[in-house]
Amino acid sequence: MSTDLAAKLKTYRLSEEEYNLMKQLLGREPKLVEWPLFSALWSEHCSYKSSKIHLRKFSYRNANTPDMDGENAGVVDLGQGERVAFKMESHNHPSFIEPVQGAATGVGGILRDIFTMGARPIMNANYLCFGELNAPRMKYLMNGVVKGISSYGNCVGVPTVTGQTNLHPRYNKNILVNALNVGYFAPEQKMALSKAKGEKNLVVYVGAKTGRDGVHGASMASASFDDDSDSKKPNVQIGDPFYEKLLIEACLEVLEKDYVVAMQDMGAAGLTSSSFEMASKGQVGLVIDLKKVPLRDSTMTAEDILLSESQERMLLICEPKNFEKLQATFKKWSLDAAILGEVQKDRKVKLMWGGEVLTEIDPDLIVEHAPQYKRPYSKWHYPNRVTKLNAPTANYQKLIEKLQKEMKLNSQKWIHNQYDQRVGARTAMDCSSSVAFARLDHTGRGLGLGVGCRPEVMLMDAEVGAFDAIYYPSLQMALKGAKPLAATDCLNFGNPQRPEIMSEFVASVEAIAKASVELDAPVISGNVSFYNETLGENIISTPAVGVVGLRDSVEEIIPDQFTQAHDHIFMVKLPWVESNIYADNFTGKKTEFTLNDTIKVADFIKICTSLDKSIKLEGLKVSSIKAVGLGGIGLTCLKMCTDQIGFDLSYDLALDAPEAAFKDHFYSFLIATGENAEKFEKFLKQHFEKCPVEIKKVGETRLNEIKFTNQLSMDLTDFRKTYQTGL
Amino acid sequence: MKIGIKIMPREVILDSQGRAVEQSMKMNGFSEVQDCRIGKYVEMNLSLEDKEAAKLQVEKMLKEGGLYNPLIEKFEIQLM
Amino acid sequence: MALKVGITRFLGTNCDEDIRKWVLSKNHQAEYLWYEDRFDVNSYDMVILPGGFSHGDYLRCGALAAHTPLMKSVKEFAEKGKPVLGICNGFQILCEAGLLPGALLRNDSLRFKDELTTLTFKNTNNPFSKNAKTDQKIVLPIAHGEGHFYADSENLKKITDNQQVWLTYDQNPNGSLLNIAGVLNAQKNVCGLMPHPERALHTWMGSTDGEFFL
Repeated sequence: MSTDLAAKLKTYRLSEEEYNLMKQLLGREPKLVEWPLFSALWSEHCSYKSSKIHLRKFSYRNANTPDMDGENAGVVDLGQGERVAFKMESHNHPSFIEPVQGAATGVGGILRDIFTMGARPIMNANYLCFGELNAPRMKYLMNGVVKGISSYGNCVGVPTVTGQTNLHPRYNKNILVNALNVGYFAPEQKMALSKAKGEKNLVVYVGAKTGRDGVHGASMASASFDDDSDSKKPNVQIGDPFYEKLLIEACLEVLEKDYVVAMQDMGAAGLTSSSFEMASKGQVGLVIDLKKVPLRDSTMTAEDILLSESQERMLLICEPKNFEKLQATFKKWSLDAAILGEVQKDRKVKLMWGGEVLTEIDPDLIVEHAPQYKRPYSKWHYPNRVTKLNAPTANYQKLIEKLQKEMKLNSQKWIHNQYDQRVGARTAMDCSSSVAFARLDHTGRGLGLGVGCRPEVMLMDAEVGAFDAIYYPSLQMALKGAKPLAATDCLNFGNPQRPEIMSEFVASVEAIAKASVELDAPVISGNVSFYNETLGENIISTPAVGVVGLRDSVEEIIPDQFTQAHDHIFMVKLPWVESNIYADNFTGKKTEFTLNDTIKVADFIKICTSLDKSIKLEGLKVSSIKAVGLGGIGLTCLKMCTDQIGFDLSYDLALDAPEAAFKDHFYSFLIATGENAEKFEKFLKQHFEKCPVEIKKVGETRLNEIKFTNQLSMDLTDFRKTYQTGL
Repeated sequence: MKIGIKIMPREVILDSQGRAVEQSMKMNGFSEVQDCRIGKYVEMNLSLEDKEAAKLQVEKMLKEGGLYNPLIEKFEIQLM
Repeated sequence: MALKVGITRFLGTNCDEDIRKWVLSKNHQAEYLWYEDRFDVNSYDMVILPGGFSHGDYLRCGALAAHTPLMKSVKEFAEKGKPVLGICNGFQILCEAGLLPGALLRNDSLRFKDELTTLTFKNTNNPFSKNAKTDQKIVLPIAHGEGHFYADSENLKKITDNQQVWLTYDQNPNGSLLNIAGVLNAQKNVCGLMPHPERALHTWMGSTDGEFFL
């Protein structure tokens, strides 16, 4: 291979095989601008080349989820004329380099994916993984990411209502920043599509001017820069939430007025992906003059323009008769609308530079014929599964202190309070609850939103962890009386060219797909982020999941927290998987688990879904309900405490052995009630008649007291103080 | 010794604040405004008396102390 | 009596729809007032400036919005003694426009703060405190990054002497002088507060104390 070619392949991040495929498809050597086009569209992020064959396993759909294959985000029909669109996306690498802007542009990007369909964004959520607190730059990264999410979300006027923040050393060199958004369609509101169509229709560019954001020659890996080498620095993409707010209002207005045939946001690979994908989906051609693109920097070349990732830009197709009105609407919102070209019947994307034709290429060539790799993997075999768990020998007092010190046992109030959780006046349950709820505008029903995936469980077993990623938020949602309806995912993995990682990927996809069918909650959208790897070190495989559910109303949602002393605390336990993750980590042992194949988790979740209604119908007084998390009922009770109300778990004799209080249950939940204990136990047993669950009273709520066993107590005030202190 | 540090966004970086102010001024009739970029000005008092030593310290603060973000900003030191 | 309420809309205003729903729920008429347009001050009974991030909060919060054609009409409206309510960013805009004394600076913590907090009514002699009693305690949500109320000692004295302190925080979340959460102009027809009453109208919202305001 010539050194020229080798250099080109390196610059454009294409393999030799891919280059050969390009030549085969084109029938010749690639010309100048074709290199950046293939580079962008065949990147892992745009083409899903390592994951596509497996993502097909998410094909399950039901009556509520019309097939939106190829459209930007999944749509769920909630009935009564209401629909929601939702999706999750990653912005991991940019956030590691510049956390504020990386996280901010992550939020901006997912918002555009939603309102490009014509839905009004109504809820933001996030899923974050950081390294150890004292790892290099980690506090800076944590503070920066939270600041980025909050400054963007708050300014754009969409509440951030739920999220999950995990800390683990495996993320020391690769943090994860995933952003999720839910958008709402009112009854009769039309959905916009992204298929270009209609010969002679105009291709219109709206939004911010194009600059060099994201365009650079150097790699993005290094975080330290010498201020003299300006040209070597990456051109960090800056997000402007104010501009995005204007874009949201203008786009929703032109969609409502029916001036738009199709619309697509310019996200990763900017103008390139939006134009090629719109053409390919619509099976039409486009003529675009790159000289007509509004520029912030007039020295930009055609290649720069094609690769620019400047934020807050949309590409749309409109009929010529509507252009003036469309432009006037954008102008009202202080935004530019510029004609770049038109739709043509000849199925080629023709890129011009003034009068010069840069390339004329069939979009299908690049989009449809992108490589689809069958990365090697092996079938999952549960390396850490055992038939019986060894009793851990941890000092639980010290374990709790360690978790607190590492901020793994923390309310994260310091994070949540930086988010505007209530703009829109729809929020009924916010970040402080395990599941968020928003009131739907037209029917007053409650839309529930939760995120899942626990890295420590993934580390224990990728398949169990992946099931857990969708089961756990679905259970949390069900306990609040909402039926899980659909899911989205953001699959964060290391290097797919390593078979062990690819095996975890396939196991995860298959588990989530299986669970979604069992729960009747289709996975309707998603994102894949591969290569979260630095110097050979990979992250824990992290398939983050978002779940939406529906509740009859937002009234009387039973909270997570204890509300009064002297309540009976009952536990309902389903014996599917058990482990001692925290205790094993603490004593340096490998985490093992037991698994009962006969247990049907989805059936249990379904029965949990009707619990809230039964409680209300029977007129029973229930104070709190919460799914048991890692660290068992002991740690869960700690999280349910308020400043005045603690608990005593020494009630149950079996808990004299502290490991019983801290064993991980997949799954159980706690329910606190002021009702007569016998009466309530009878009620629970009747409700869960068809489930192989264990139901028993495990303790009582107490004023100013925390007691696990007769040997292990804590001071409530001290605990609450540490629990609520963050960065 | 008093030092002034002008910190501005790098030329290639989008300055959303400057853009908003530029549009606002134009809308209010100040059509002479062609473009606007906004940064920050830091005034610092150092216990050093030598100009060169002070400049060196400030440069150290900028590059190692996190006083500016080299990815998105550039600086200019002014001895006062 | 049904009032005709004008709701200001600047580029970046976020809570306009929330205010509109609130106004309509009280059986009043609601109309949006666009930032580039003047309006006839005789056509409205009340003007509300909602929260949000007008003009991105760029330069200073409310600064760019305060210098728009719409605000010229709002000033005229206020000068006539008619009721004007500014919520959060609306409060900031009214201060920048000189319709309320003082200024709102960055929270002492330097962070945005979102929480439900207890407040005390210090003055109920204004158009937005119906059914409230002086020293009554209420709970409202706050959500702001720049809520530290500041005025120089001369103006602080005027505000206090003239009973212009409208609401105070029981637990100061941002460093506001005199714990001021809401303030009135000398004429007591222009009222500004940082908390959001429109986010406290139902039990499921966490508080219904927004009911005291409209």
